[in-house]
Amino acid sequence: MTLTGPLRDPAHRVSPKAVKLWLLEALIAFVIIVGGSGLAAAWVGGSGWSWVPAWFAARPWSLPAAVAALLTPFLVAEPFVRYSVHRWELSGDVVYARTGFLTREWVFVPVSRIQTVDKAQGWLERMLGLATLEIRTASHAGSSTIQGLDFHVAAGLADQLAHRAEELRDDAT
Amino acid sequence: MPHDTAQRSVPHDAAQGPVPHDVAQGPVPHDVAAPGGASQDAVPHHERGPRSAAQAGAGAPPYGPVTPPHGPVGEAPHGGRAEMPHGPVGETPYGGRAVPPYAPAGPPRGLGPGGRAPLRLSPKVLLIDPVRMLPNLLLPLVGVLFVGGFSGSSYVWAAAGAVGAVVFALIRWATFTYEIVGDRLEINRSLISRSLRTIPLERVRGVDVSTPPLHRLLGLAVLKIDTGASGGDEEGKLDGVTLEEAERLKAALLRRVAVARARAGTAAPAGPAATAAGEAAPLMPGGLTGARGVPEEHSHVPSERTIITVPRKWLLYGPLSGAYLFTPFALAGGAIGLAFQWGNELGVGRDAAWQAGRWLWDRPYLLLVTVLLLVVAMPFAGGVMYAVFTWDFRLKDRDGYLVAERGLVNRRSVSLETRRVRGYEIVDGLAERRAGVVRAWAIVTGLGDSSTRGQLLPVVPRTVATEVTAGAIGPYRAELRPHPPVARRRRLFRAIAPWAAVGVLALAAAASSGLLLWWVLAVLALALAGLGVPLGLDRYRSLGHGYDGTRLSVRSGSLRRAQAVVERRAVVGWRIRQTWFQRRAGVYTLIAGVGAGEGGYPAVDVSAEQARDFPAEVTPEWLAPFRAEPPGPRSS
Repeated sequence: MTLTGPLRDPAHRVSPKAVKLWLLEALIAFVIIVGGSGLAAAWVGGSGWSWVPAWFAARPWSLPAAVAALLTPFLVAEPFVRYSVHRWELSGDVVYARTGFLTREWVFVPVSRIQTVDKAQGWLERMLGLATLEIRTASHAGSSTIQGLDFHVAAGLADQLAHRAEELRDDAT
Repeated sequence: MPHDTAQRSVPHDAAQGPVPHDVAQGPVPHDVAAPGGASQDAVPHHERGPRSAAQAGAGAPPYGPVTPPHGPVGEAPHGGRAEMPHGPVGETPYGGRAVPPYAPAGPPRGLGPGGRAPLRLSPKVLLIDPVRMLPNLLLPLVGVLFVGGFSGSSYVWAAAGAVGAVVFALIRWATFTYEIVGDRLEINRSLISRSLRTIPLERVRGVDVSTPPLHRLLGLAVLKIDTGASGGDEEGKLDGVTLEEAERLKAALLRRVAVARARAGTAAPAGPAATAAGEAAPLMPGGLTGARGVPEEHSHVPSERTIITVPRKWLLYGPLSGAYLFTPFALAGGAIGLAFQWGNELGVGRDAAWQAGRWLWDRPYLLLVTVLLLVVAMPFAGGVMYAVFTWDFRLKDRDGYLVAERGLVNRRSVSLETRRVRGYEIVDGLAERRAGVVRAWAIVTGLGDSSTRGQLLPVVPRTVATEVTAGAIGPYRAELRPHPPVARRRRLFRAIAPWAAVGVLALAAAASSGLLLWWVLAVLALALAGLGVPLGLDRYRSLGHGYDGTRLSVRSGSLRRAQAVVERRAVVGWRIRQTWFQRRAGVYTLIAGVGAGEGGYPAVDVSAEQARDFPAEVTPEWLAPFRAEPPGPRSS
């Protein structure tokens, strides 16, 4: 798989622990979706409605099985693809980040236009010692979210960005 | 999901305004400022510190000679930022200023002993309020009369209801006051709960005066003060001031806004006399308005220049825009709904209505004729509506504001601060392009509801629109560059494939079942797929992006083609997107993040070279570090 974007890759990968994070998140979503489709199939299959085909009423488990078969490749691939895609860099007072799984995004945010820098941790991230950095500007298209950073890296980066932003503050927007 | 959020907010939330000083923000510790940063424009009562205290002491001059107007509460959280640079406009924070913002130049005229006089809305608004409540009151009243059988007691109840409405309006009027105090507009409501809204003048983005029919009859107007806050709730609204008062307030507000900014910028030296007399100068109705509260060097006659008055014959272009085209259907729907509602209230049973409907259903030709009539009426009704709403459209340049006035029944005037205008968007539909006419909107930072309020021009010839936008905001002088041929294939595929798929499926269903409905559906879908060919080609022709050294421009769309022109300095970042399908085709969507308007303006399906070179051309310093290989070994 080629990762060549229009510009060179950002220098730093996110923390390797992010693979675990994405795997856990994907697993949770997987369980919810497959479980939900199983419940729905059981309900429809057992209802005895006339429009339900007989073969389905006899085998209601076929729906969750099909869903699971469809989703499993994604479940397995997503964390690793994301780990190879997600990268970030801070050079020349510009944050450059690449994210995505099926759709990729390259974001450039100049530090002079940053309004807030948030460091957030969900409970999974806390468990793994990870953090998400949210860099916001006046525009959603010019804002960036970097997931799966090591907590200390994120804290250092947030501090650094906030300080630089203060120095470079530009009010053109 | 519980988020343990450690937030670093960059001090000075200049998301929208260059001046960090915001009195009202006082007690809010800065570190927990909302990421949006702009939502604290208008603030409830209790967050104001020293002002209330000053108000409590009767007659105490709220702005003493040396006391900084915003006291400890306003200063403390911002104190550490006094040395912060403040961008190109060059404002300094309020903290560096020991001069009250509006020391009157002369002795205040006509002030009571307290030195302040909050104003009420025009009492004439009392005539409007009960009338406005009428529709709400009417049905219950009619109900009471019907149920009560026109007996004496039911009349009493109805009368009590009407009196109650009037009394309510009276109390509301009496307890609603407003006042310009120093550099703030305060709106005080104490009907049920006391609330005092403080709007710092420097946060005022624009003032919008409109005159709904009833107001116009009585010579009243509605004044809306736009602060750029997200919710409509946080804006100031004075519903029912006299027209003169509206104009006067608007002029005073806009002038004071300009002065507040100038003051903040220059730390203007006010004379000792002015400082000594440091009292707030509330505005008196009909009194000497501007010059009193404003030092001499800032008071000037507002300059006004009409940029364009749209001629009446151009109203004929209206229906081409497709605006209000569905008016006949909306009216018919509304009439049917009303008929049902009133039929119920008046005792005409639902059954009768159903019977009427069934009667109509049994005569399909009648239904068809009705629908045809409605369709034929579309351009006419749409044109009339368009004419009513955009009657006598004028665009003016008044003292640093672009003012757009329009409307026949409800005359509306929207002021956009020129300083906040970052560009414009020129929009045309299919029919409009044939006729060579376009519409134009301004791209303004922090303007809520920009689709209706930001309109710069109604449907006018393209050359006129180009001239007006170039004159009022700035020209765009470059060609748009075409996107790679792959983009044409993608446009065509996206315009044709969905309909073709539906058509083929319907065809298969038709062949297997033989139902007429499937055949109709198949023919329709395939016809739409056929139309997709010219549509896709036109969409490709529309695609383009360019940069002329000051402004960048992107264009896309066919049924509604829009070309955005945005200043370079408004760009706050870049985003390049590539979906899985785009990756197959080797193209990207390049989005210029702009802190105004829609927030981002995309160039769809650009080549890899364009995605790389265009941002580098517009903002070379941002992209330079990422064009070459990084120095040193990677730390991945």
